[in-house]
Amino acid sequence: MAKSDDCVHILQGLLVFGNVVIGMCGIALTAECIYFVSNPYGLYPLLKATENDIYAAAWIGIFVGLALFALSILGIIGVIRASRTLLLVYIILMLITFAFEMASCITAATHRDSLTPDLLLKEMLERYQKPESANNSDNEVTKTWDELMLQNHCCGVLGPSDWQEYTSAFRLTYSDADYPWPRKCCVLDAQGLPINLDGCKLGVPGYYNSNGCYDAISGPVNTHAWGVAWFGFAILCWTFCVLLGTMFYWSGIEY
Amino acid sequence: FRGCSTGSTPSIAPPWLLTAAELPYTPRLTQSTPLEGLTTASTFVLDQPRCVFNEYGNADIWLVVALDKAVSTFNNTAGPGTPETAFQGFPDPVHAYMTLNATLANYPCPKPDGDITVLRVGSETSCAGDATRPTCNGPLPGPGPYRVKFLALEGSEPVAETAWSTQIMLRTAKSPSNISTAGSGHSAGMIAITTILSILFAILLAGLLAMLIFWRSDSCGGSSTFSKPESVTVRRYNTHHVYDQPAARL
Repeated sequence: MAKSDDCVHILQGLLVFGNVVIGMCGIALTAECIYFVSNPYGLYPLLKATENDIYAAAWIGIFVGLALFALSILGIIGVIRASRTLLLVYIILMLITFAFEMASCITAATHRDSLTPDLLLKEMLERYQKPESANNSDNEVTKTWDELMLQNHCCGVLGPSDWQEYTSAFRLTYSDADYPWPRKCCVLDAQGLPINLDGCKLGVPGYYNSNGCYDAISGPVNTHAWGVAWFGFAILCWTFCVLLGTMFYWSGIEY
Repeated sequence: FRGCSTGSTPSIAPPWLLTAAELPYTPRLTQSTPLEGLTTASTFVLDQPRCVFNEYGNADIWLVVALDKAVSTFNNTAGPGTPETAFQGFPDPVHAYMTLNATLANYPCPKPDGDITVLRVGSETSCAGDATRPTCNGPLPGPGPYRVKFLALEGSEPVAETAWSTQIMLRTAKSPSNISTAGSGHSAGMIAITTILSILFAILLAGLLAMLIFWRSDSCGGSSTFSKPESVTVRRYNTHHVYDQPAARL
């Protein structure tokens, strides 16, 4: 008798511990997703315009994290009281949360995969400096690209030759001879003027930015996507074990 | 020297005037420094003709830009700044125009090391439509091919010329709608996440079903470990419910 009591107590202890970990991870997931949604790198307008909602996964993550925290408390209470009703409610709600978090992980991973250089290139060529655009998102795209090129000292997606290889909305307003690539691609001085405009137009190394901005975009997006996807995956694996243990415990409670 | 077929056409000047001297220099795109904008859609960059026209200190050195097919019909006596060689008439009806007027002083010899000495053909956009500026260095209207040469004129007489360059092709821009944005397939990570999570979810659902089916059955394997018929153990479970049934039962 004592031995099986010990087993019961050990199982209870493990389940409580499991739920505590789930609760803490839920809070961590919420915090992480709030950080991503707050757009720390200013890339949201670019990604939104590609109709690639990588932020949906983070939004789901916020609510899933809170749900996990609440349910873990419910689970702890249910295990200690050994209440069949509470634990059944806990298991069903946890399965629903599991499903949502699964959706979030898969969404984050899929959208990350679809964010190829070609997608960004096409969007940049079609929207950057689009003339007379009443569409607010086009202005956002232009502002975001200008900020991006200024802060990361880069030009275009793959390089300044993007502007030469393809026609673009930019090219409709700015002639090729005066603006082989946007002025933001030039090395600028403290006042925001090119240090050598002719050198920039010619493409002399040192007066223009020759590398593309794709790395500056994909770095944060990768961190974001993998942060949501893999951390969510880890939480779900742990939750799986705890739920199996809870089901086992539940089926053994005398009602 | 190059063969006469690509040289200047026979002059109709008096026989005691020589035709323009052919210099052993071929204009070419700048090779010495890697330039991103070496050729764009409407401009290209040439090396300056340094140390080439040393003997012609009094001459005006002009750049002649011609369509490839018009090279053999170009007449050296065509004057710069005339409607026959005006940039504004290029490429039709004018097949070759003259621009970038300079003298030997603009091309000092020898070239200082480290300086980038280039000529950007097509850089002046302000005069491209201005008929009063026929020697405008305006942007080229198409991708070419073009050929160029330098021509030295004293007064209006051609005294020296370089060879014609090889064909210069400019860049043609493609439309961005050709860019295919179809995904490059799914990464291994995404497939792993999807598969594993689906399996785990399926197991959990199966477990839930098993739980509900065997709800009222005590014959499930694990139940014998927990459920004790003695009220003593039941009391132990319900440590918080000391007011409950066990007391009533007893």
